[in-house]
Amino acid sequence: MTERYSFSLTTFSPSGKLVQIEYALAAVGAGAPSVGIKATNGVVLATEKKQKSVLYDEHSIHKVEPITKNIGIVYSGMGPDYRVLSRRARKLAEQYKRVYNEQIPTAQLVQRVAAVMQEFTQSGGVRPFGVSLLMAGWDEDEGKPYLYQCDPSGAYFAWKATAMGKNHVNGKTFLEKRYSESLELEDAVHTAILALKESFEGQMTEDNIEIGICNATGFRRLEPSEVKDYLASVS
Amino acid sequence: MEAMAMMPYQQEQTNHIERPIQHRFSPYDFNGGTVLAIAGEDFAVIASDTRLMTGFSILARDVPKTTQYTTNTVVGSCGFHGDVLTLTKVIQTRLKMFTYLHQKEMDTSSVAAMLSTVLYYRRFFPYYVYNIVAGIDTEGKGCVYSFDPVGSYERETYRAGGSASSMLQPLLDNQIGMKNQEGAKQVPLAKAKAVALVKDVFTSAAERDIHTGDAVCIHVITKQGTTKETYPLRRD
Amino acid sequence: MSILAYNGAAIIAMKGKDCVAIAADRRFGVQAQTVSMDFDKVFEMGPHLFVGLPGLATDVQTISQRLKFRLNLYELRENRRIKPQTFMSMVSNLLYERRFGPYFVEPVIAGLDSKTNQPYIASMDLIGCPMITDDFVVSGTCSEQMYGMCESLWEPDLSPDDLFETISQALMNAFDRDALSGWGGVVYIIEKDKVTKKLLKTRMD
Repeated sequence: MTERYSFSLTTFSPSGKLVQIEYALAAVGAGAPSVGIKATNGVVLATEKKQKSVLYDEHSIHKVEPITKNIGIVYSGMGPDYRVLSRRARKLAEQYKRVYNEQIPTAQLVQRVAAVMQEFTQSGGVRPFGVSLLMAGWDEDEGKPYLYQCDPSGAYFAWKATAMGKNHVNGKTFLEKRYSESLELEDAVHTAILALKESFEGQMTEDNIEIGICNATGFRRLEPSEVKDYLASVS
Repeated sequence: MEAMAMMPYQQEQTNHIERPIQHRFSPYDFNGGTVLAIAGEDFAVIASDTRLMTGFSILARDVPKTTQYTTNTVVGSCGFHGDVLTLTKVIQTRLKMFTYLHQKEMDTSSVAAMLSTVLYYRRFFPYYVYNIVAGIDTEGKGCVYSFDPVGSYERETYRAGGSASSMLQPLLDNQIGMKNQEGAKQVPLAKAKAVALVKDVFTSAAERDIHTGDAVCIHVITKQGTTKETYPLRRD
Repeated sequence: MSILAYNGAAIIAMKGKDCVAIAADRRFGVQAQTVSMDFDKVFEMGPHLFVGLPGLATDVQTISQRLKFRLNLYELRENRRIKPQTFMSMVSNLLYERRFGPYFVEPVIAGLDSKTNQPYIASMDLIGCPMITDDFVVSGTCSEQMYGMCESLWEPDLSPDDLFETISQALMNAFDRDALSGWGGVVYIIEKDKVTKKLLKTRMD
């Protein structure tokens, strides 16, 4: 019975806006910053992971997550919503593999995740996701890296480099200045760390940022020790 | 088991009531094997594999399904090996009687005719045997007769019988009957070519048919008598 | 009698050197009665991709249509040509969706990879269990006969012309020993930059 009268909460305002989506974007804009940079031979995802208390065990929760062998994602916004989406993304990827016996192309996964996010702007009884995703992938078929952003509205964009979350405007301006087409993955990791540093408050350590890289060998999250080495070479 | 499976579901539930146990005896088995015969101008070739099996088990690897009946008549028989042995015994007895009575060996064509009669005699409880008779006819030409288990028979130039017959027969049509070959002329088949072809097709059959393998026993029949050769096949 | 043998069919696919071939008979019959002799059982699914569907004629046509439907959706969605391997998985998936009420077709797939031009052949049973081989695959009411022919005639690295001759002879002599298939044949030779379709004239009895 409740289902029958369950209307979508996302409704048009008289000016033609969907304010619910704008609120969701505001939640993203207030979230922890994350950046993604596409290099010639791979993609890097990086994000701030500041804990509210020193008592948190910072290495048992991750913001950078692998979805398939060669696709990984990161987010800005609300953590619990992100976990719903990462679960769905993994399921979609496996469903694709089940049908075609082939890794899902990054563009396909992005499209399908975006469709899920769109659905939550139009369905009854739900609210839009309070996250934007960065999805990094390496397509085996074409031998090319990809970087996509997926917003709560279901809109998605392919980037060379981008920043999301708090201070994303500054982050993007920084990337616009530093980005070059011939960038290689190692340099891209450095640039990503520098982009995060733009707005980072306090000391950046291997415990309060997280980095994922994606290249021909697949996607993986860097170990804190590796992050530490990068941080040392950046400063 | 089968009777139980066919019982309606409700009756199966009250199955604790003891019913007499039924045993069913099947008088037949199938022991595999393939035979093949080719008639040439003045010779005939007949071959069979040497595997004997039942179900998925191999009973023996060295039992040819061919039997020499007279100097220039060899018969290949496969199907149920028990019937093969019985039939062979019956025929051989009849041949012996014939020799005593007429003081000569029976012609190949007569062996074939008699075999047909013996098979038809058991029209309603047949010998489960596929026969192919090969030999030399009264004019000195190679001849092949093929049979069904109840005695229908005809003279042919080539025939495959038994478990891999459906694999071999189309190939013989093509290679000996020159079927589907535009403008190809029928050239008399050379003895060596016939034997080589037999080895070839048996190798192919052993590749795909689990009932055929181990070795192939090839008889070459001429007016002078017969020679026998064994050629190995895959044993798995 | 098996529903798979209700209409009758014979289909072979073979690998050659940088080429593949797929051949089928043209009969459509209802048990022993022949109805037509120009029935299509091989369908073009792409410039270098063909599928042969022996089995129940109604399912042959339904499957060919549903496959084309799914294939078109795939190629539009992903904006690229399908690989033969991927297509095979798609067919398998379609058939397994009807695991407990199957379509009565046992498909044969032949194609060249859209990128590498590698030859690819595969066959599967009616619920989509695939079989990928390096030489040849057969399917239809005279599969034993076709196996016998292919096993003897096929050899590795056949040229397109030799491959045509081999597959045609294998098909014709096999279906001549089957009452349910035959009545003409069709052969597709698939090469990197050309696909040749040839009709075979055969005995019509």
